[in-house]
Amino acid sequence: MPRTNTGRVVFQPATYRRMQQGIDKIVGAIRPTLGPRPRIVAIERILDERMPELLDNGGTIAKRIIQLPDRDEDMGAMLVREMLWQLQDQVGDGTATAAVLFQSVYNEGIHYLTAGGNAMRLRTYLEKGLQVILDQITATTVHLSGQEQLAQMAQSLSYDPPLAKLLGEMFDIVGAYGRLEIRAGQSRELEREYVEGLYWDWGLYSREMVVDHSRLRTEFENPAILISDLEIEDPEQLLPALEVALRAEIPSLVIVAGRLSDRAIGFLLANKNPQRFQVIAVRTPGWDKPQQAAALEDLAILTGGRAFIHVAGDTFNSIRPQDFGRARRAWADLRTFGFVGGKGSPRALRQHIATLRATFGQTVGTVLRGELLQRIGKLLGGSATLWIGGATEFEITSRKEVAERTAAALRAAMMEGVVPGGGVALLSCRLALQQMLAHSDAPDERAAYRILIKALAEPFRTIVANAGYDASEAMAEVRLVGPGHGFDATAGRVVDVMKTGIYDPAIVLKSAAYAAVSTAGLALTVDVLVHRREQPERASVHIPSKRKKL
Amino acid sequence: MTDMTEDAERQDVIHALAASPDLHMCFAARPSGLYRSEDGGLTWHNAYGSLSLETPLPTGAVALLPDFATDRTVFAGVPGGILRSADGGLTWISVQLPSPPPFVCSLAVSPHYAQDGVVLAGTMEDGVFRSGDRGAHWAAWNFGLLDLSVICLSMSPAFADDETVFAGTDSGIFRSTNGGRAWRELEFPPDWAPVLSLALSPGYGADGMLFAGTESAGLFGSNDQGRTWKPLGGEVITGAVNSLVLAPDFPAQPAVLALLGNGLLVSRDGGRSWSDWKPGLPVDRGLTAVAAPQGLGPGAPLLVGLADGTVLRI
Repeated sequence: MPRTNTGRVVFQPATYRRMQQGIDKIVGAIRPTLGPRPRIVAIERILDERMPELLDNGGTIAKRIIQLPDRDEDMGAMLVREMLWQLQDQVGDGTATAAVLFQSVYNEGIHYLTAGGNAMRLRTYLEKGLQVILDQITATTVHLSGQEQLAQMAQSLSYDPPLAKLLGEMFDIVGAYGRLEIRAGQSRELEREYVEGLYWDWGLYSREMVVDHSRLRTEFENPAILISDLEIEDPEQLLPALEVALRAEIPSLVIVAGRLSDRAIGFLLANKNPQRFQVIAVRTPGWDKPQQAAALEDLAILTGGRAFIHVAGDTFNSIRPQDFGRARRAWADLRTFGFVGGKGSPRALRQHIATLRATFGQTVGTVLRGELLQRIGKLLGGSATLWIGGATEFEITSRKEVAERTAAALRAAMMEGVVPGGGVALLSCRLALQQMLAHSDAPDERAAYRILIKALAEPFRTIVANAGYDASEAMAEVRLVGPGHGFDATAGRVVDVMKTGIYDPAIVLKSAAYAAVSTAGLALTVDVLVHRREQPERASVHIPSKRKKL
Repeated sequence: MTDMTEDAERQDVIHALAASPDLHMCFAARPSGLYRSEDGGLTWHNAYGSLSLETPLPTGAVALLPDFATDRTVFAGVPGGILRSADGGLTWISVQLPSPPPFVCSLAVSPHYAQDGVVLAGTMEDGVFRSGDRGAHWAAWNFGLLDLSVICLSMSPAFADDETVFAGTDSGIFRSTNGGRAWRELEFPPDWAPVLSLALSPGYGADGMLFAGTESAGLFGSNDQGRTWKPLGGEVITGAVNSLVLAPDFPAQPAVLALLGNGLLVSRDGGRSWSDWKPGLPVDRGLTAVAAPQGLGPGAPLLVGLADGTVLRI
């Protein structure tokens, strides 16, 4: 259809048809990536002439599809893209499953509606059926434990045995909320490192505060910690704290401060008696005030000290010996500081972690959830780093992406449990819907359940087909063998999926089902497309002949 | 009743006792050092003689191997390190732990030490150190251990399969299911802590039973691997439960021995009813440690350590 710049309005039946074409295109690009034997999608790069980007992740593919040339089709495609993008951000996986589910529900829904069904009632019943699906998934959820099960889960997510083995070990140690960093390595191998204690990426105020010049860091045993975000201009502001520390015979002190003037740094460096008293100063962690407030709260609870807060009008004038935090060991270099064995109350720490976990569970925003997860991970008292090696930068980058995606899904699986993978959990939801279908008389309700029953088989069929097998044949085999069985697309045979270690994180599957069915239900109620006179802003970036086209 | 003959004037508390199954070789850990008896606790000698120490070496924990009859390795926890003897405590090798010096107050040796070589050390302020090479090297493994004051450790008898260890701390109980490398807290109310003693059923792998003795809240039992707890001992067990021992064939013979600060009680019905192990113990001198190398059957010998440094064989 030629594009116009007049404010065009599209009515039925063109609305369904044009949106469906856009949806089919974007889902068609993602469908090949579902399952353990994904096909690769090559995407032309925008800014240079390098080799195309080779992707097997539905979420990333969706993000790369910026616009379809046909504006009617584009509206359908962008609806799916937005849904998948959000899903990827929220749970890190499940986009290909959501895409094929969405497509099936939408396309079957259109068939029904064009034959005279009512879109609003259909949507209501789709959502009723969706609740049944979510309940069924919850009922089949089990919790993973132990390195072996976690590694199996990682394998079914990453299809990379060495990576899966390491991630299984690391998550078994750090736990669902633990701190795990994934970084590009220098060697060809995968390597892991465990670090005791906790640290922040904020370091010393001055190179002159480094004591151990061979390691470029300073370490104190049994130090006191002065926790603050105060901005110290005049060295005299520090005097009360230093006097109290000396009177209390504190041998070493770590000052955490929001800002330290050159005069204040010079004053601390002019310490004439380091044998009796050592002092260093590090920056208050956090990029902004809320982050700093959170770090100060954590530091105070971990070390049993008091946080001196600028906006509360705190100064060091009234400081008492018990206001200092304590730890068994503290260390700092120019980039980071950390400590081991904070002397805060373990009971207060446990309560604090429980509160943060509860907040994490109720928080939706990706950024906020990430920050909360980081805080909890630190408080748990250790961190793990996975170094991703490889022969080329491309290999490292793509393996790192897989590792990050797998880690996010593993975390979700540990928090919320797992269900049989390979599309089996969705297949097993069909029985409950069939029972509801048998007890319903309303045509729209019956149609909704039929649509869902058909859609729930789509991920299974796609996984089998992507691996090069006959989906109908596999489906018939699975029916014969019974519940809990599915098709191992890697081995090419029907197996008990849980025993074989083929899992899906329950939260990922529930989120995918929710996103797909609820968005498809909404999309089916769209009756009219209205175009703006001008192109939407996202498409106005002038990149001649480089715009994504499918 | 046996005094530590070489050092009786010190009258220091017995932190821990360990004895070979035949009760021939016994060890007592004290602030003044580790003492060794080769006659079932009748006479005691300083086990650190070969070290030629100028000052006493406070010893907070001692542990023998499960198959001590064939492998005479002994571990002893001291400030800043762990001592290991391969000859039943005659000579020692010292392994330093990272500074600042931790004080080792509990040791747990894997029931399958011959195969896995795993030993754990609980410390007063630095959490748990783990060795996977028979005590040659140690590293702190405290992921998820939110309380680093580890008072007691107890390993699952099926450690080779389930890799389960429990740690009693100042504020509750933590469990590791990967051989002591990471810990998760159990739903044990903080108000009941500190936890001074733990004992796992020999059939833990199947029955999931364990007991926890606390400083002031009494004795608690769980039969679901520590997920839920119920009080045991009622009005009888009120003070600090310093040590717990279960019968080797528990739960077939459901005997539980509880060493309180002021009494030594036994239950023959899994903790429901209690009676004195033996009347006439000098409870006013404070009971601090117990070893039952031959089980809890009627007439089985026990070693009991007192707060004044005495070890009783009863």
